[in-house]
Amino acid sequence: MILLDVKNLTLELELAGEWVKALDKINLVINQGQIHALVGESGSGKSLIVKAIVGALPNKRWKITADRMNWRGQDLLSMSVQKRREIVKSDISVIFQNPINSLDPLLNLGDQLKQSINIAALPKHLFWQRNQYKNRRVEELLHRVGIKNHERFLKTYPHQIPSNLLQKFMVAMALASDPKLIIADDPTRGMEVTSKAQILRLLSRVNQVKDTSILFVSHDLLAISSMSHCMTVLYSGQTVETGELQQLRKRAYHPYTQALLDSAPSFRKDLPPKSPLTTLAGTIPTLHHLPIGCRLGPRCPRARKECVVTPSPRKIHGHYYSCHYPLHWAGR
Amino acid sequence: MNSVVLRYTNLMVITLIVLSLFSFALAYLFPGHPIENLTGLSTEQLASGYQHAFNYASGESLLVQYWHYMAALFNGNWGFSFHTGLPLYEEIKHVLPASIELSAYALIISVLVGIPLGFLAALNHHKTTDYVLLSVSVLGYSIPVFWLALLAIMGFSLQLGWFPLSGRISLFYEVPVETGYIVLDILLSDIPNKRSALLDVVQHSILPTLSIAVVTTTLIIRITRRSVIETLDTEFVQAAYARGLSTYQVLVRHGIRNALIPIFPLLAMQFTTLLTNAMIVETIFSWPGLGNWLIQAIYHQDYPAIRAGMLTVSALVVVFTMSIELTIRLMDPRRRRVRRGTI
Repeated sequence: MILLDVKNLTLELELAGEWVKALDKINLVINQGQIHALVGESGSGKSLIVKAIVGALPNKRWKITADRMNWRGQDLLSMSVQKRREIVKSDISVIFQNPINSLDPLLNLGDQLKQSINIAALPKHLFWQRNQYKNRRVEELLHRVGIKNHERFLKTYPHQIPSNLLQKFMVAMALASDPKLIIADDPTRGMEVTSKAQILRLLSRVNQVKDTSILFVSHDLLAISSMSHCMTVLYSGQTVETGELQQLRKRAYHPYTQALLDSAPSFRKDLPPKSPLTTLAGTIPTLHHLPIGCRLGPRCPRARKECVVTPSPRKIHGHYYSCHYPLHWAGR
Repeated sequence: MNSVVLRYTNLMVITLIVLSLFSFALAYLFPGHPIENLTGLSTEQLASGYQHAFNYASGESLLVQYWHYMAALFNGNWGFSFHTGLPLYEEIKHVLPASIELSAYALIISVLVGIPLGFLAALNHHKTTDYVLLSVSVLGYSIPVFWLALLAIMGFSLQLGWFPLSGRISLFYEVPVETGYIVLDILLSDIPNKRSALLDVVQHSILPTLSIAVVTTTLIIRITRRSVIETLDTEFVQAAYARGLSTYQVLVRHGIRNALIPIFPLLAMQFTTLLTNAMIVETIFSWPGLGNWLIQAIYHQDYPAIRAGMLTVSALVVVFTMSIELTIRLMDPRRRRVRRGTI
């Protein structure tokens, strides 16, 4: 069953009087029970996609258009703000990448966790039982993410807690409303290996036990390959390639995907010791200087004259790519 | 927490000591004989009758003199006014409540009006409401207080005749002085026409209060607006939206507290502006307050009065500012001592 179906999502931001397409025709499909990875360099618009889905864009000027942006068959863009909030509240949770900034500094953690418990989903109760129930639920959530000393923890404020614990707390907050989709926006950023493994294991377990879909936004290819089913590669606000992870790893069609996989030494079996790692020359363009057509153009080793026209997505066996001159493709 | 209170008290006491040192130095800095500047009595008077009241130890070292000065200060023995010949402590005790009353009204009004308007402007950022409020606040901020007060007198008291010209209460009412705060005094007293006396006081205080409140209100609008806009731009507010809270819920649960915390210290800093404006307005409306009294003292080159008035005003400012800062400091959980939890 398809949970989230986004087609040709375009987000324009106003930068110094000009409208810039920060996201250009993004396609994303998330199925029930799937872990879908969203990969891209920093600045490729991963977080913007997350914010566009939940409707939490910053208070600046922006325009959002899409052919389709459906949540379980309901169009998110055309519905009222109220309705959309209700859906987001009950079905979607976001784990933000920067826990210390995403938590209210003046409220203690217990209050914040209780706020994200979905009251509508509680069993029938009288109002004086509500608080008791919430306390029990909060305790259970914290134990689930591996925080044992819950009483003390709930009374503290965000700045008093080390960031890896806060990240676990964010996961607990995301689980609080029993969502159908968890959007994890780089949940393991700047973490050391053990906490990272804990968080990833936790997310996989939630996916397996509760059949919760996860949109896993990251640039950690190793983590992605260990847990996700599907992957969407993003470059500078364009979806470059989408497909099942195994297929993508075996045979990437887009030069950027290939470059991304090559840049991770753990994916290269044939890499001799002490050899230089392959990288793409150049850096990701800033929003002020976006190239026309395929945005990878200036950095692409296979770029030709036709690449100034944006390639339309093509499909082979549930594997989408947007490239005029794909790899492993002798047809043209 | 105790250490914080101790630190702030310490800071306050040291500032007050520096102020008292400065006020003592004024006796030497003003023209004339230091003992005359300190006591407000001529050397002949001192020699003849008032010796028992003062123990200034002239001829001793400056430190000893300062010690005696402080002793006299704490005994309520602040010297006499050159101009009226009355004891300064009594005079200031008489005029200070009127000033505090006026400033308090102005402060309350500007907070009650300014903060909601600031929120309104911030919530309608880049919309007409915001622009209108912003331009009104620039206008209000740019009008000189004395000119505004004069215009108000001309319009509302002389032409329309809605409000009385000057003073604190009409001469018809004889209110016995208990606390010095006229509203309290009326309520405590047993004069027959309390209600009309109160109404009269309110009528008298409207124009001066409003003329002071205009500047402070516009300042508060601007401070609040900025702070709320910044708070609404933070990641945790966006995270709250992403959790599916409505604008109202986000504002109540996360917006207001976080926006107000940076406002209050700035508000405390506006207290000095408020007090200065109050002094000017007091003179214009002949409000019998400290500002009016101090400006009269300056006219008459009444050095002991200037010294005592300056000490009072600055002590008031220091105590007020420090207490607000301390309150904020204790309220803000971010600045509490970090106790790492073991989990």
